[in-house]
Amino acid sequence: MDYSQTMLAFAVLAPGVVFVVLALVWLAGWVPSESVVSRITGLTFSASIFALAVVLWRIAATGAPAVVLIFGNWFTVQSYHFPLVLFADRLSLPFMGMTVVLAGLIGQFSATYLHRERGFFRFFLLLHLFAFGSLLAFAAGSFDLLVAGWEVVGITSVLLIAFFQQRTAPVENGLRVFAVYRACDIGLLVGVFALHNWSGTASFASGLPSLTGSRASTLCGLLLLAAAGKAAQVPFSGWLPRAMEGPTPSSAIFYGAISIHAGAYLLLRVQPIVVQSRAASAMVIAVGLASAIHGTMSGRASADAKTSLAYASLTQVGVVFIEIGLGWRSIAVAHILGHATVRTLQFLRAPSMLHDYHKMHSAVGGELSLAGKHLNELLPEPVQLWLYRWSLDRGHLDTILDRFVIYPLMRLSRLFARLDGVGLTGSLSQRESPLSRQRAAGQGRV
Amino acid sequence: MEKTSILTAVAIAVPWAAGILVAVVRRHWRTIGFVGALVSVVASMILLTAAPGIRSLNEVLMVLFSCLTLGAMLVLPRRDCTPSTIGGILFLLGSTLLAYSAKDLRVLLSAWILSTVPFFSVKWFGARSWRPRAGLLLSSSALALAVVIIAAQGRVMVIDGLNGRSPGGISVFGLLVAAVIFRKGICPAHAWVADAAQGGPAIPTALLLNGHFGAMLVAKLIVPLFPNTARDMFPVLSYLALVTALYVAIRGLSENSPRRLLALVALSQSACILAGLESRSAEGITGALVHWFVVTVSTMGLFGVLRLLEVRFGENLTASHYLGLAAHAPRLAVFFIVFGLALVGLPGTLSFCSQDLLIQGTLESHPQTGLLLPIATAMNAVTIFRLFARLFLGRQRTGFTVMADALAREKWILAAGVLFVVMGGLFPNVIVARQAAEAEAVEQAMRWPANSFQSSARRRPAVPNLKPEAQRNLGSRLRLKERILFSPK
Repeated sequence: MDYSQTMLAFAVLAPGVVFVVLALVWLAGWVPSESVVSRITGLTFSASIFALAVVLWRIAATGAPAVVLIFGNWFTVQSYHFPLVLFADRLSLPFMGMTVVLAGLIGQFSATYLHRERGFFRFFLLLHLFAFGSLLAFAAGSFDLLVAGWEVVGITSVLLIAFFQQRTAPVENGLRVFAVYRACDIGLLVGVFALHNWSGTASFASGLPSLTGSRASTLCGLLLLAAAGKAAQVPFSGWLPRAMEGPTPSSAIFYGAISIHAGAYLLLRVQPIVVQSRAASAMVIAVGLASAIHGTMSGRASADAKTSLAYASLTQVGVVFIEIGLGWRSIAVAHILGHATVRTLQFLRAPSMLHDYHKMHSAVGGELSLAGKHLNELLPEPVQLWLYRWSLDRGHLDTILDRFVIYPLMRLSRLFARLDGVGLTGSLSQRESPLSRQRAAGQGRV
Repeated sequence: MEKTSILTAVAIAVPWAAGILVAVVRRHWRTIGFVGALVSVVASMILLTAAPGIRSLNEVLMVLFSCLTLGAMLVLPRRDCTPSTIGGILFLLGSTLLAYSAKDLRVLLSAWILSTVPFFSVKWFGARSWRPRAGLLLSSSALALAVVIIAAQGRVMVIDGLNGRSPGGISVFGLLVAAVIFRKGICPAHAWVADAAQGGPAIPTALLLNGHFGAMLVAKLIVPLFPNTARDMFPVLSYLALVTALYVAIRGLSENSPRRLLALVALSQSACILAGLESRSAEGITGALVHWFVVTVSTMGLFGVLRLLEVRFGENLTASHYLGLAAHAPRLAVFFIVFGLALVGLPGTLSFCSQDLLIQGTLESHPQTGLLLPIATAMNAVTIFRLFARLFLGRQRTGFTVMADALAREKWILAAGVLFVVMGGLFPNVIVARQAAEAEAVEQAMRWPANSFQSSARRRPAVPNLKPEAQRNLGSRLRLKERILFSPK
């Protein structure tokens, strides 16, 4: 293992190790003070930035296409193996760099922002876990390992949405986001299976396998499902405003910067396959276009700052999807990096937006004049109203999901419950029926 | 008497003796139970170290179950720690270990029946529903009938002697499958599992369910005895298992009783074990065997935490509204979410590997129905997270006089469970490699050409120069089989 490989391993593993150590310390009954936690966070991400800089320097100096670190197989069963390969190339390094820099910044910002908050320690614990999951996903040399990082990011995201656990709304929204994530991740799992089946490996460290038209379309369709879920693209955009229930720093790093771009990263990773299939390219472009239009319209009708920013992110990620579908890989990467940086800043400034406005108004000596006419005013008024209602209800996406997926599933579940109840004895049905349970819960509620 | 036989006898008899001692002495029952289970753990571990690497599933299961019982002895709340409960658990331990180690059909049947005996006592079991007893009774009857038919045909009753001979033909095969369906709670015989969890004592019922006798019967009896029938007819059981996994997962979405909900999730996940065992691919079978361990440990952990919550905050816990218990019991909350997510494939836990292998295996063998597995797992994950959220999150309740989080003994035993699923997830090859060898043998049994086992049994004496050391690894073993099968008469 040479020094660049060591540095790569360090950069990826450091946040994970810190997470484990802090978790064990907590389990043993000691909660470190805020200053200790924030110092550890600062040191960890500074060291990770340094380590990634070394990797970057190595690639730039030697002109090598990538730094690859092979740990072997995580587990092997006959011909099936789970390769444990870390891989830093010109695509993953920008994403990894973005992750450690922004996670470090968010750590510093949150030390003040969440000062004396009840969940201070929990937030930092989850921040480290999230950074580890993201770095693992971006540095993975195979889709198997990418799935592991991907899932960790999802879980952390949900736990941070439910950060203010005393209120029920964040928890309910976290559950909703979790359900969407898990449903969409089926695409990734089946996609990885398809890759194993068709090419014998899901590793891309030594190049992606070449797949024929129909196989390429199927694979891209499955991965697009996962990417669209993670990036809140149409038709899964409904969860994004719900995710704004989390603390602002986590919203900034998840939905302004890293997590929301993870889907784009996945598509960029399989972009050589995407361009082999016109159907796949068309699907990616269609989803991106629909999301961009949906995002910009819903964002304009949003009443709160964070939701507006979230929809602005969604719009930009939709445009990134279009760029990927068109094969503009470098433009997409540059777009992601620029967008993530600006959006993080905007999210972090969102709580002090009014203060900023007041400051600006004082500076210019009064309120700013209106921007002028909008193009939508050219439309007939009934159409404008319809569009406004459509945007206000966020494209009715949540309603559609509820009506056509969730309600039927819950009805089916209740039907199964009734079927299971058939044949109960009288004594049991009195003692253990849902009604009697509710009554019992009402009498002796905890 | 061989050393292994003595150790097996110790592992089985000591818990039984301890159970009797508890009933007689009626003092220090937790200590006696702990010592009894500990002796079982030690004996099983020695057996495991002495067992050959490729055929050690029974020993691994013995270690796992005795460790679970040991953990249960420590986690069991004081309220539940009565002589009858401890005695019943020890009796269950002895019976389960007897079933795992049985080499004779009659012994297996006896162990199967004995393991259900405590659950027929209304005073001990508590659940007034007839379905748990009916499920257990029907499964025992089906197995008993199968054994009687085999005995009536005048065949040997030693399991190894019956390998590949399809004793009793399709009728015995059908009865064995029926025993699996009733014992494991496969659709349409699934309802008793939730009833048992709801009405019965939480931890002993979890132990009963985690014996996984149904899966054991498949791995130990059905596949080796009926390789050809299993190859042709087994997909039916696999489809039933996958349908059960999905049905129960959907059923859990609207369930609000925590115990019932946990039972449904555990049932859905354990149904995947059967689907994996049938997948006829090394990945699927290995995944099933590894998943067996994960489901067992995680389910026990979840039921343990739930019971600890019940004794602290009342038995009327419900998932219909937010209870906010994390503020009172943060460590129990962490244990619950880790065990819960470990059950449904959280990365970094052993179930991530087992789910990965299971999905590969089932999709490979059944590309259409195999899709039900990830869908069911996704639903189970949502259900588990919902239960966690409803129990632990939400506004902190006031008015509790007891604010205790996990006690030291509870904390460390639950931490040991978490350590197993996490370390197993970080270094899965230790477990996967051992089970892969076992799975390869199962897979070979199912892929074997028609009547190959009968042929091998007949031809075995025709090959005089077998080297005993050739059996030490799987490659040698398979080559050995080829030599036996394809050697000229």
